[in-house]
Amino acid sequence: MAPTNQVLIKESSNVRTLILNRPKQLNALSLEMVSRLLEVFHAYEEDPNVKLIIMKGEGRAFCAGGDVASVVNDISKGSWKVGADFFSKEFTLNYLMATYTKPQVSFLRGIVMGGGAGVSIHGRFRVVTDNTVFAMPETALGLFPDVGASYYLSRLPGFFGEYVGLTGARLDGAEMLACGLATHFVPLEKLSLLEDALCKANTGDPTIISNIINEFSNKNPKFKEKSQYFRLKTIDRCFSRRTVEEIISALQKEADKNMDDWISWTIESLKKASPTSLKISLRSIREGRLEGVGQCLIREYRMVCTVMRGEVSRDFFEGCRALLLDKDKNPKWKPSKLEFVSKDMVDRYFAALDDKEWEDLKLPARSNLPSYAISKL
Amino acid sequence: MDRVNFRTQIITRHLTNHHTSTTNLLQTATCLNYSPPELSEPSSHFDTNALRKLLDGESMDEIDHMFNLMIQSDLFCRRERGGKVFISPDFNEPMEKQREMTMRRIGYLKEQGVFDGWLTSKGGEAELLGFTRANSCGVFDHSLGIKLGVHFFLWGGAIQFMGTKRHHDKWLRPTETYEVIGCFAMTELGHGSNVRGIETVTTYDANTQEFIINTPCESAQKYWIGGAANDATHAAVFSQLEINGVNEGVHAFIAQIRDGNGNVCKNVRIADCGHKIGLNGVDNGRIWFDNLRIPRENLLNSVADVSPDGKYLSAIKDPLQRFAAFMAPLTSGRVTIAASSMNTTKKGLATAVRYSLSRRAFSLKPNEPEVLLLDYPSHQRRLLPLIAKTYALNFASECLKTIYVNRTQESIKIVHVVSSALKATLTWHSMRTLQECREACGGQGVKTENHVGQLKSEYDVQLTFEGDNNVLMQQVSKALFMEFIAAKKKTKPIEGLGLEHLNKPAPVLPLNLTSSTLRTTQFQTDIFCLRERDLLHRFVSEVSQRQAQGENKEHIFTMTYQIAEDLGRAFSDRFVLQTFLDVEATVPAGSLKNVLGLMRSMYTTIVMEEDASFLRYGYLSTDNAAVVRKEVLKLCSELRPHALSLVSSFGIPDALLGPIGFDWVASNSWSSVKHV
Repeated sequence: MAPTNQVLIKESSNVRTLILNRPKQLNALSLEMVSRLLEVFHAYEEDPNVKLIIMKGEGRAFCAGGDVASVVNDISKGSWKVGADFFSKEFTLNYLMATYTKPQVSFLRGIVMGGGAGVSIHGRFRVVTDNTVFAMPETALGLFPDVGASYYLSRLPGFFGEYVGLTGARLDGAEMLACGLATHFVPLEKLSLLEDALCKANTGDPTIISNIINEFSNKNPKFKEKSQYFRLKTIDRCFSRRTVEEIISALQKEADKNMDDWISWTIESLKKASPTSLKISLRSIREGRLEGVGQCLIREYRMVCTVMRGEVSRDFFEGCRALLLDKDKNPKWKPSKLEFVSKDMVDRYFAALDDKEWEDLKLPARSNLPSYAISKL
Repeated sequence: MDRVNFRTQIITRHLTNHHTSTTNLLQTATCLNYSPPELSEPSSHFDTNALRKLLDGESMDEIDHMFNLMIQSDLFCRRERGGKVFISPDFNEPMEKQREMTMRRIGYLKEQGVFDGWLTSKGGEAELLGFTRANSCGVFDHSLGIKLGVHFFLWGGAIQFMGTKRHHDKWLRPTETYEVIGCFAMTELGHGSNVRGIETVTTYDANTQEFIINTPCESAQKYWIGGAANDATHAAVFSQLEINGVNEGVHAFIAQIRDGNGNVCKNVRIADCGHKIGLNGVDNGRIWFDNLRIPRENLLNSVADVSPDGKYLSAIKDPLQRFAAFMAPLTSGRVTIAASSMNTTKKGLATAVRYSLSRRAFSLKPNEPEVLLLDYPSHQRRLLPLIAKTYALNFASECLKTIYVNRTQESIKIVHVVSSALKATLTWHSMRTLQECREACGGQGVKTENHVGQLKSEYDVQLTFEGDNNVLMQQVSKALFMEFIAAKKKTKPIEGLGLEHLNKPAPVLPLNLTSSTLRTTQFQTDIFCLRERDLLHRFVSEVSQRQAQGENKEHIFTMTYQIAEDLGRAFSDRFVLQTFLDVEATVPAGSLKNVLGLMRSMYTTIVMEEDASFLRYGYLSTDNAAVVRKEVLKLCSELRPHALSLVSSFGIPDALLGPIGFDWVASNSWSSVKHV
């Protein structure tokens, strides 16, 4: 395909630095970018001259997610299958990264959300810093945490993954390091020095790379005073519940005992989110916990296609309208309440689509699955 | 010629290379790499989720929720091996600590609301949910499953089924919340399977309206009582009831044995059963009662009661019938044991099969890669029939659950017979499978963290508790005998237990078997029915002959145990085949149905090969037995490509399998050793 300036590539002997370059859109992933990354990752795997991949974003964000606004736009013009093509490429890229034989170091400066997490968290090293903001905000948008999130969120300690995935809670660098989403915390002012050091070392040996990053790292970055990480016990108690309804009622019980900003924010964010999204997201994370990353992506692909097809619910389109296009921030979800989302409706997101032209996601055969690639968190 | 070349090469190498440094040798020698079976095995020909659904049905979500709860809690000993998280109890901890951990895990599950409504919700669905929860816990640790089983199924079940409203209102809710911790004091040092022989005696004092429970001799001490040694506050005590000097038979009473602070009550003595070969997370204890007084209301009075002034009241006059009615509801124990033995089996098999798909041994030719264990026909023969059998028995176990939760007054007998037969068959299969898996994993099988070896001792007791397997099988034959005689007396066709085929003419088997005949459902059904029919006739005629000679009936049944055991197995096998066919019928034509058909043929063929009764009684000629044996080999090679998908469809999460089923090179690497 034609070269694009949406992904810049810097070559330094055996190191390739990939720069997401759509700074005005906070580097939101376009189909063009996803296709380019996919192509580059495939090529580098075969290329003996490439030993290490560095991934970063141009401007103040790493990546604010998939460019869903344009996906929705495309769908409204044509068929939902245009969207399917985008997600199929994106998820394949996620899988490639999760099973990659060469180390990927991602520099997570600024915003890392949704699809942005997908192109970094699956990689071997995730470096966060002072201004990192991570979130999986999909339930507020009528979608669900995709890009393999049901794999990596479900591997977080206790039921923190359910919390992050359902509420869209924002995590900072210290919290990401503590829960395992990040492997290193490097202060902002040292990031470029680290990048130089990695290029200079010119190695693909994970142990050496890890040692180099360690030299620049802050091992114990401080939690902010009101960090949600201090609430892990409450999170575990509530978010381990069987259903979304039970989670909310457990949170309400906690609130009755001890109301504070965090609890009320948590309840509020669940009440604002799409009821359908909440239910399919919870089930997705729970199933993902018992699956490998490939199975997770195949399942998420079924889910995302069902979402785009819009037969069970059109919340995704409504969410994009309310938050991205009209920006009235007042989505009208349908079904409007949790109790109206039946088990049968939820089941449909997890089943193969009854459409002759539709196929399950076909992931590329991998020649090698190193142990760290099977589970990194 | 190859061999000559090979030797020449080696000699040349010896001559020319003796001075090369060892580093060079190390560089040229390729090291073993772990390759996950997912990479090397063909992708599944069928929908693995759909197959799992046939095993777990509607319970799938609940099972997965339980797994989620356990995997995410630190109480379940999470450990990382080769980049993956595993959970399993720490069996290296002393008995006391294992027991403490079991109770802490129960506390955690209670906090999660897992026990809400277990006893207070009504209906079959609630009962199924209970089975599912206890059995899912048992996948992690048998001790945890048993502790829940004793508390909910045995103690809770005694209150539910042997008690009446006054007991339900008082005890069920506090049991769910663990304010009351129950145990089930039936077995004694001197009496186990023979419950009617227990020696504990209870009398009634009309003046105080109290029962007095007494342990008259050492052999009457309650023994193996799960929960009694440390935790239980209350016991369902089984005892002979003597009213006005008349023994009214075995009855059950509620007795408090500890106070709220855990101190043993007055007139009760408790001792520990000590360390066991497995299940050390369960505090089995012994109890003596020294004329312990309990309120009159504590008699579980569903079948019989004692009036305040001390009169014995029961609608059922015949003590034998009364005992049978009284004990009837207690089959839930066998139902859950059967189901839980399937989980163990699946855990062991999935681990051993995954290992056999990544471990190699010996090259067939020099310089060729070593052969994958499961590519050896002998290894296939060891493991693959066990997979097919496990599916067959698992379907039967699900069927048993359905029969149990839909039970009626009329179907009690069916529940009893089927649960007895399947409890014995399934637990025997479980132990046999674990032993085979242990050996199939070689030395790795003896390592505790790889599960297969440890599971043997954890689950061995299943063959004994809730009825010794041999005793149960004889009871099955006895029940079949009674059915047959009863139908004959009434000159009515025999009905129920799937015995209707006896009303038809005996099936005629083809003289010379071929591979294709062996795979037809017609033949499979015919030979299983013929075997059951013939053995039942033989059994009836032997018993009748002895009766005609004036022998005592009980004596006859002890003397005819050989044929009784053959018949018990024949009944069980035929029942299992029938449920397999029923499951198959629900599946639309396609790849899943094909693989089910293959497994059914494997199941029937392996039963024919392994059970000597087919040759002993001539259902198979020696020639046909040879055809059967050959077919096993063929079926093995046909099942081989499905091996990974079949064990994946068991639905046991990776975290609950042995690390040996995954990257065993990484999990044993030097870097994984904790360096002090």
